[in-house]
Amino acid sequence: MTSDPIDLEIDLLLEAIFRRYQHDFRSYARVSVRRRLQRALVMLGCPNLSALQERVLHEEGAFGEVLSLLTVRVSDLFRDPGFYAALRQMVVPVLATYPSLKVWVAGCASGEEVYSLAILLSEEGLFERTIFYATDIDPSALRSAEAGIFDGARAAAFSRSYQAAGGKGSLSEYYMAAYGGIKFDRRLRKNMVFSDHSLATDQVFAEVHLVTCRNVLMYFDRPLQDRAVGLFADSLVRRGFLAVGPHESLLFSAHRDHFDMVERRFRIYQRLG
Amino acid sequence: MRPLDTRSPPLVHAVIVALVAATFVADYLTPLGVAVWVFYVTPLALSVKVRTPSTPLLVALAAIVLIGVAAITDPPGMSRSVAITNRAMGSAVIAAVAILVRQLIAARLASEREDWLRRAQTGILEAVQGELVSDQVGERALRMLAEAVDGVVGAFYLATTGQAVLLAGLALDRTRVRETYAPGEGLVGEALRSRAVVAVDGAAEEGFLIDGGVGAVPSRALLVAPLWADGHPVGVIALGSSRRFGDRDRALAERVAESIAVAARTADYRRRLHELLAETQRQAEELQAQQEELRVSNEELEGQGSALRESRTQLEEQQAELEQVNAILEEKATELKRQRDEVEGARRTAERANEHKSEFLANMSHELRTPLNSALILARLLADNRDGNLSEDQIRHAETIYSAGNDLLALINDILDLSKIEAGRVDVEIEDVAPRRLVAQLEPVFEPVARQRSLVFSVEVGPDLPPTVATDGRLLQQILRNLLSNAFKFTHQGAVTLAISRAADGVRFAVRDTGIGVAPEQQRVIFDPFRQADGATSRKYGGTGLGLSISRELARLLGADIELESALGRGSTFSLVIPGVPPAAQRGAPRPDLREPAAREPAALRSRRADGNGAAPARTAAYLPDDRDDRRRPGRLILAVEDDPAFARILYDLVRERDFDCVLAGTAAEGLKLAGEIGPCGILLDVSLPDGSGLSVLEQLKRDGRTRHIPVHVVSVNDFSRTAMELGAVGYALKPVERDEIFKALGRIEDRMSKKARRVLIVEDDERLRESTCALLGGEGVELVPVGTVAGALAELAGSTFDCMVLDLKLPDGSGFDLLERMATDEDYSFPPVIVHTGRDLSRADEDRLRRYSRSIIVKGARSPERLLDEVTLFLHQVESTMPPERQKMLREARSREQAFEGRRILVVEDDVRNIFALTSILEPRGATVEIARNGREALDRLARAPLPELVLMDIMMPEMDGLTAMREIRKRAELHDLPIIALTAKAMRDDHERCLAAGASDYMAKPLDVQRLLSLCRVWLPRSA
Repeated sequence: MTSDPIDLEIDLLLEAIFRRYQHDFRSYARVSVRRRLQRALVMLGCPNLSALQERVLHEEGAFGEVLSLLTVRVSDLFRDPGFYAALRQMVVPVLATYPSLKVWVAGCASGEEVYSLAILLSEEGLFERTIFYATDIDPSALRSAEAGIFDGARAAAFSRSYQAAGGKGSLSEYYMAAYGGIKFDRRLRKNMVFSDHSLATDQVFAEVHLVTCRNVLMYFDRPLQDRAVGLFADSLVRRGFLAVGPHESLLFSAHRDHFDMVERRFRIYQRLG
Repeated sequence: MRPLDTRSPPLVHAVIVALVAATFVADYLTPLGVAVWVFYVTPLALSVKVRTPSTPLLVALAAIVLIGVAAITDPPGMSRSVAITNRAMGSAVIAAVAILVRQLIAARLASEREDWLRRAQTGILEAVQGELVSDQVGERALRMLAEAVDGVVGAFYLATTGQAVLLAGLALDRTRVRETYAPGEGLVGEALRSRAVVAVDGAAEEGFLIDGGVGAVPSRALLVAPLWADGHPVGVIALGSSRRFGDRDRALAERVAESIAVAARTADYRRRLHELLAETQRQAEELQAQQEELRVSNEELEGQGSALRESRTQLEEQQAELEQVNAILEEKATELKRQRDEVEGARRTAERANEHKSEFLANMSHELRTPLNSALILARLLADNRDGNLSEDQIRHAETIYSAGNDLLALINDILDLSKIEAGRVDVEIEDVAPRRLVAQLEPVFEPVARQRSLVFSVEVGPDLPPTVATDGRLLQQILRNLLSNAFKFTHQGAVTLAISRAADGVRFAVRDTGIGVAPEQQRVIFDPFRQADGATSRKYGGTGLGLSISRELARLLGADIELESALGRGSTFSLVIPGVPPAAQRGAPRPDLREPAAREPAALRSRRADGNGAAPARTAAYLPDDRDDRRRPGRLILAVEDDPAFARILYDLVRERDFDCVLAGTAAEGLKLAGEIGPCGILLDVSLPDGSGLSVLEQLKRDGRTRHIPVHVVSVNDFSRTAMELGAVGYALKPVERDEIFKALGRIEDRMSKKARRVLIVEDDERLRESTCALLGGEGVELVPVGTVAGALAELAGSTFDCMVLDLKLPDGSGFDLLERMATDEDYSFPPVIVHTGRDLSRADEDRLRRYSRSIIVKGARSPERLLDEVTLFLHQVESTMPPERQKMLREARSREQAFEGRRILVVEDDVRNIFALTSILEPRGATVEIARNGREALDRLARAPLPELVLMDIMMPEMDGLTAMREIRKRAELHDLPIIALTAKAMRDDHERCLAAGASDYMAKPLDVQRLLSLCRVWLPRSA
C-alpha cells in the first residue's frame, strides 16, 4: 500500500490497537495521528513505532498512555462563550417545549463541556428534566470528567468565559474550591451518565434533543466523519440540534441534507424532519 | 546521639570515704608527729574521677577537719605546736590541691559537654542533609533532636507560608494537636516572632500527651525551638519529655536550629521547584495539545477549502452543462411551440370540420330520410302485394328491401342522434320523473321481445326508492331502451333484468343480462362510437353499435355515467346513477355521506314539496337564475360572487360547462352568507362588489372555521394578486378573463376537492389560545374543529373521525389524561394521533402515561407554536405516507405468529423514550404485557414485587444505575437467579458482549434493534408456558 516504512508502521500499529483493544484509530486524520505517535515515541522512550507496537501489545499500561496521547484534549469551561450565548438564545427556547430532554456530549474529554451545558440548562430551568450523556473513548478522561475536579488556577478564566456566555449568577455557586482545585457540585452530576462510546465502532444508544460534538470531527477522516454525523442524525429527534466545532462543517458531509444551519458562526445545525 | 552521661563512676565515692576514714583511723592511732595525714591527698586525688566539681572541696574540708581533730586526739609524740603548724601547712596544701582538682573536673566536664554538643549537632546535620523533601527533613530533625535531648514526643511545624503548619510528628497523636498556628499564637506561634528557645517544666495540661498505647501520660516538660534562617522564621520544633530539659538541651536546640531551618527551607524550595517544573511540563503538554488542535483544525479547514474548490469546479462544469442543456431546451421549446401552433391550427380546422360534419350529417340524414321514407313506403306496398300480381320471390325481395331500408333508417337515426349530441343540439328538460312510471312504460315494449326470444324479462324495484327523480325522462327512457335492446340482442337464453334502486346520491338503474358478456379488454372500447367489440359481432348480431355511445353521451347530459360490469360468457350489467335527488336534501344535512339513507327520504320529500310550492323562505332569492334550487351535481358546486350580470352569466355557463352546479351572488354580504349556507366546493370571487371589497370577503371567509377550507379564486379588473394570495386565495385572474383561465381555476378547485380536507380536533380550554391555535394551524385543506371541554371533544370523536388532535391537558370538566383514557377504552370514540400541547410541567410518570397515547408532547413556551405547527403538519402529511400500512402489516404478522407472547409479562428496563415506544409497539401487539423501568434502580424495585416478569430486556447505558450493575444486583438475589435477561446495548465491541454476560445477562443484542431478531431472541428466552 505504501513504501514509506513509517506509514506502514502506523498502519500496523493502529491495526494492532484495534484488534487488541478494539479502539479504532484507523479512520483518524492520518497527519495528526502521525504527529501524535511521534510524540508518543518521545514520551514512552521508544526508538521507533515497531518498538512502540511491541510495548502497546504487551503492556496494558503503555496502551493507556498511547490512548491518552492519541486523543487530543483541549477544553475549557464555556469555551467559545459566544457558542453558549447562541445556545441560550436560539436553542434553549425550543428545548423548553419538550417535557423531557436528553443531551449527548460526544467526545466529552475531561468534561468541561458537559458541566458547562449542565450549568447553562440549570440556569434556564431545564436541568431537572434533562439527562446528559457524556461519552468518550478514553477511560482516564471519563474518570476525570466524572470526578468533576479542575485546576483551581483555571477558575478565573472559567468565570470570565461564564460571564461572557451570558451566565446569570456567579460561576462559584457551582463549585467548591479547595487544595488548589475546584470541584463541581454533586447536584450537577446527578443527571449525568458518563460512558465509554466510540463514534467509530458503536451505535446510537438513545433519542436525544441536542448533540454537541465540538472539535472532535476534525480528527476524523471523511468516511468516519460521515459515520459520526450519521449516528447523530439517527439519534436526534426531528428538529433536534447538533453543534460541531467552529472549524468543522457539515457542508461536505454525506448527511448535510438532513440538517439545516441555524447558527453560522458556531455551527449549530437543526435536524430536518 | 546518646544523651550526656552525668553519673559518676560507681564506688568512687565509697572508696574516697573509705580512704578518708582509713587515713583518719591511722592518724588517730599513730602518735602526733607522724605525718599519716599526708595520705588525705589520696582520696583527694581520687576525687578527680568524680563528676561533681564540689567533691574535692568537700573531701579537702573533711580532711582538714579530721587533721585538726587528730592533732588534738593523737597520742603525744612530737611537739604539739610543731605538729599543729605542720598540720596547718598540710591543710593549706590539701586545700590548694582540692581547688586544683575541682578546676580539673570542671574543665573535663566542659569539654565533655562541648564534645557531646558537637557530636549531636553533627549527627543532626548529617541526618537533614541530602535531597530530602520537607517532611523528611522535619521527621529526621525531630527524631535526632529527640534522641539527643531525651524527648519522647515531638512536632515539626513548617512556617514558610507565614504561619506554622504541622509537617511531621514524633510519636504524635495528630488528632490532639493543632495543625496550624498563627504568629504569636501559643509557644509555637511565639517562636515565629522570637528566636529564643523556650523550655518549660510541668506542662501537664497544655503539653503533649505521651501515648503509650495502653495509656497516655502528659509530658512533664516542653522544649520549643524556633528555626530561623537568614533572619526569617522557617519552622518550629516542639519536643515533650518526661524529664525536664536542661541548659544543654536548650544549647543544643539553639545550635542546630539554624541548620535545620536551612535544610527545611531548602527542601521547601526544592518542593516548589518540582511543582513549578511539573506545572511547566503540564503547560507544555497543554500547549502541545492546543497546537495539535490548531494544526488539525487548520488541516480540516484546508481540507474543506480543497473540497470547496473541487465542488466549485464541479459546479462550474455543471453550469456549463446546464447552459448547454438550456440551449437545447430552448431549441426544443421553440420546436414545441411551433408544433403546438400547428396542432392548435389542426385542432381548429378539425373542430370546424367536425362542426361542418355534424351539421352536414344532420342535414344529410334529413335529406336521406326523405327519399328513404318513400322507398320504404313503396317497398311495404309492394310486399303487401295488394294486387296479387307478384310472385313469391318478388314479395320476398320487396320485404328484403323494406327490412334493409328499415335498418338503414335506424342507422341514419343513430348517426343523427350522435351528431346532434356532439353538436350540442340536444336539449335537456329536467322534470320530476317517477321511476316506477318510467319502468311501467318500458315493460310492455320489451315484454313481446322477451316472449319472442324465450327470455325472462323482469323488473326489480329496490326499497326506499324516491318517488320522483329530477331528470329528463325522455332521455332517460332512451338510454334504458338502448341498454335493454342491447341486452336482448346479446342474450340467447336466461333473463334480462331491469333493476332500480336507491343510490348514495340518486337513483341507480341497472340492466342485467345473462348474455355473451364483454371481455375485460373490450369493456372500454364498446362505448366508443364507430367501434365494436369485434368486427364479427356486428356481422352476427347486426345493428350499428352506436347505441352504447349514444347512451353514454345522453347519460352524461344527465350528469351520470354508464358503468359496465361484465365477464365473457357470464352476462353483463350496465348501470347508471341518475343524480336526481334535489340538492336541498343535502344542504340540510351536516355531512354529505349520511349513514342513515332512510333518514334522508322525508327530508327530500319535504324539500321537494317546498320547491313545488315555489317558496323557499329560508333561502336567499337569486338575483340571477342559477342552480341553487336545482342541484344536479351533488358535491360539485361553485359559488360565483360577481356583480356584473353579464359576466356572471358567462361564469355560470363556464362553470356548468365544467360539470359543476353554479350559484350566483351579486353582493359581498350575499356571497358570505351563501358560502356559509351551501358549502360550495369552490368560490369565484370578484374584487369590486357594490357593498364591499371582495378582499374583505376573502379575509372573512378565511377567518371563519366553516369556510376556511373552501378554495377561493379571485377575479378582478385591478391587480391585488399579492394581497389576495397572502390572504389565502388559490389563484388570481385579471379581467378580461379568458375562458381557459376560468377553466384552469376550476381545475385547481377540482384538484383541491380530490384531496380531502384534513380534519384536526383542537381541545383547548382557553378561548383566546384556542382561536390563536386555529389561526396558526388553519390553512388550505385543513378543517379545524375547536372544542373547549372533555365532553365536547368526546362528542366530536364519537361523531366523526379526525386526522389529528391537539390536546391541552387542563380542561374545565376533566383532565386530558381522563379524555385519553376514555378514548382508549371506549370503542365508540375514534382515536386520531394526539399531540399534547400543555402548559404544565410534566413529571416522568405523567410523561410515560402520555406516551402510551401520544407520540408528541409539547410544553407551551416561546417557541412552542413553531413546533406545534411542525408536528401537526407532519401528522397530516403522514396520513398519506407509508406508515400506516407498515403498522398494519406488523399487526397482521402478529396475528399470524405463534402465541409465544400472549399474556407474557416482560419488563423493559430502558430510559430512552423512543426505544420504549419501539419495544412496546413490537411486543404489545403480540399480546405481551410490557412494564417499564427507567433505570436499574427502578428495575430492582420492580423485581422486588410479585408477579415477577418472565423476561427482562435491559438497556446498558442508563442514569442512576446502569444495566451492568443492575444485572449484577439481580443475580445476587437467589429467586432471580434464573430470570432471563437480554441485554441491549449500543456497543459493538466483542468485550462488551462478554461484559454483559459476565454481569449476568442471559443473552445480548446490539442496537439498533432488528425486530425479527429481537422477537426470536425473546421467543428463545421466554420460558415455555405451562
